[in-house]
Amino acid sequence: MVSSASKSNAAAVNTVELASVRKCYDEFVAVDDLSFRIKPAAIYGLLGPNGAGKTSTLRMIIGIIVPDSGQVLTLGEPLSRSQTRHFGYLPEERGLYKKMKVLTHLVFLGQLKGLTSSEASKRVHYWCERLELADKIDKKVEELSKGMQQKVQFIGAILHDPELIVMDEPFSGLDPASAMSMKDALLELAKKGKTILLSTHRMDQAERLCQSICLINRGRAVLQGDLDEIKANYGQCSVQIKYDGDASFLRETRLVQSFNDYGNYVEVRLAPGADTQELLRLASSRARLDRFEVMQPSLEEIFIEAVKKPHA
Amino acid sequence: MHNTWLIIKREYLERVRTKSFLVLTLLAPAIMTALMVLPAKLATMGEKVQHIVVVTSTPQFGETVRRELLSPSLAEDKDDDENASQSTAAKPSHENEYVIDVDSNPTEAERASLRDKVNSQAIDGYLWLSDDAIATGKITFASRSVANSGERSRLSEELSGIIQRERLAKNGVSGEQADLLLKPIKVEAIRVEQGRETKGGSGKKFLEVVIMVMLIYVAVLFYGISVMRSVLEEKNSRVMEVLLSSATSTELMIGKIFGVGAVGLTQIVVWVLMAGAFALPSLAISVDLSELAVPPAVPVAFAAFFLLGFLLYSTLYAAIGAITTTEQEGQQLQFIIVIPLVLSVFMLSSVVKTPDAPLVAWLSMFPFFAPVLMYARIVLQTPPAWQIALSLILLIATIAGLLVLCARIYRVGVLIYGKRPNLPEILKWLKYAKT
Repeated sequence: MVSSASKSNAAAVNTVELASVRKCYDEFVAVDDLSFRIKPAAIYGLLGPNGAGKTSTLRMIIGIIVPDSGQVLTLGEPLSRSQTRHFGYLPEERGLYKKMKVLTHLVFLGQLKGLTSSEASKRVHYWCERLELADKIDKKVEELSKGMQQKVQFIGAILHDPELIVMDEPFSGLDPASAMSMKDALLELAKKGKTILLSTHRMDQAERLCQSICLINRGRAVLQGDLDEIKANYGQCSVQIKYDGDASFLRETRLVQSFNDYGNYVEVRLAPGADTQELLRLASSRARLDRFEVMQPSLEEIFIEAVKKPHA
Repeated sequence: MHNTWLIIKREYLERVRTKSFLVLTLLAPAIMTALMVLPAKLATMGEKVQHIVVVTSTPQFGETVRRELLSPSLAEDKDDDENASQSTAAKPSHENEYVIDVDSNPTEAERASLRDKVNSQAIDGYLWLSDDAIATGKITFASRSVANSGERSRLSEELSGIIQRERLAKNGVSGEQADLLLKPIKVEAIRVEQGRETKGGSGKKFLEVVIMVMLIYVAVLFYGISVMRSVLEEKNSRVMEVLLSSATSTELMIGKIFGVGAVGLTQIVVWVLMAGAFALPSLAISVDLSELAVPPAVPVAFAAFFLLGFLLYSTLYAAIGAITTTEQEGQQLQFIIVIPLVLSVFMLSSVVKTPDAPLVAWLSMFPFFAPVLMYARIVLQTPPAWQIALSLILLIATIAGLLVLCARIYRVGVLIYGKRPNLPEILKWLKYAKT
């Protein structure tokens, strides 16, 4: 049921390519037979509930841990030291040296990625200005709020203008305004051709940002590919109908699996294989319609459905 | 290399820039000086002029005793090698320390009255030199306090000289002949090193070894623990994960150990310079500096073994930091580090006795003992070059091996947080990290 549609653009070198990757900690299988490809200049979402294996997967991609079996290719090559300069990583466990000043700290991180100290300092000033941290630049990290520390860490991850930006739960713990400015920065980087891989357990965020996703549960991929295609292929869609008159026909027809009457409108779940046009004709013949809208399933619905299914 | 250097620089600058570093660096010598100077000051403050009565039947003999006790003492006069550094130019006289009266009435009644005088603090003590006492050599010095052993040994030294002379004179030996007979015999220790003879008593050599041991001990316990702390800090603040995406765990480890180590060395160098600045003027007056000259191999060996020893033990501390999660846990494991240090101090005495015994030679090449024992051997007696070379190679290899091991434990340890691992788990971690 998984990804038939996403294998189209095979010519371009994928930024990230995982093939049958497996990682165990003792008896616990964190990641099992995981394969996916991330195209350049895309925002890719790695989704799944807590403990699904997202962080382990990200760590294997940037080379902090090594898979037990399978292969990870980044920028078309197996991981090597020289590649780490093209990666930017925001770990889920945020960590900075508490006693260091923001500027010194970020310059240090930039230098580790190969920037000169003056270049790093210039970029730190630019980004701090952009993310409203300019007045905090000479403060110690410990004097900053958690959200601000997270922005500092975000800057640390993108300072060296990496090709691949890996962010583990980038928006958790941020207020809406900060989340917005970070999202804008990410979108801008994607437009500039950078590849962004982010993990989240918040489906609504992924739905808004990502072009492609991989849904994992218990270390295995349950669903992956282009987000629009996934939704289209998911089949089961729902219809919202606002009507005037008698709606008893919804109970009678075989087209409807279930429906939920909210008073102002009903949300109808179609039976498998049912045609929305047929329902429209039926509805218009029986009641006066104010609105008839075919709703795409939310990612959350898809996710819950996919996880519920027993998989081989 | 670039990364390692950056990490060393960060560790170093972040530590040296703190206020606590500045305060400690400047304040510690002040406290040390106070600790050393105060007791000495207190001790001299307690000293007052002693009023002593010498009781003897012959006033002439009493006078001799009085004169000798007031003049510079015998021990200071005969300048033996161990005290070479104590100046020969200015012999301290004892004229300000004593008031000595001669009493030529050695009777029991007089003794009782003197006893009363001592009791009432009219005098501080009396020296009972009756003819009988001189003949038997059993002389009594009575005073309120018997604590001052230094004073008693000086008295007995002085008196034995005087009485021996007296006895010789009675047997018709002239003063000059007596001087000749009583001239002390001195054995001078000369060290033969590469065909050259070096003066220098074993006492001074031993002192050099002890200074090394003390320095290693203090440096390791003091700065080693800060290596451990810094590893723990990094684990607990989770900076690690970001750093690991840019640098290898080995680079991080080396950076930590060298960075923190350099901070320690900076502090030591500052202290040594400060001590030098204070002590040199006073040293220069009393000491002939050429006396202090040591063979050039010794300072080089000192630097090499001190640095390597420090590195070795710091690496061990880093390893402890890597397998523990809190400082308390780490301190419980400190015995791993303290035991080899203490053992090498224990073995030091056998090294001093027989620096070239085969067992001593092998033990001194064992990396964990080498910083103390091999250095001691170099100071006492030049060991064969191959032994020095082997011990250095083993030391460096052990440090490198430990570093790699440590880096692996560190890498796995920081990513799987939680409880302290047991040995099988650590071994498993090492396997994880290898691939």
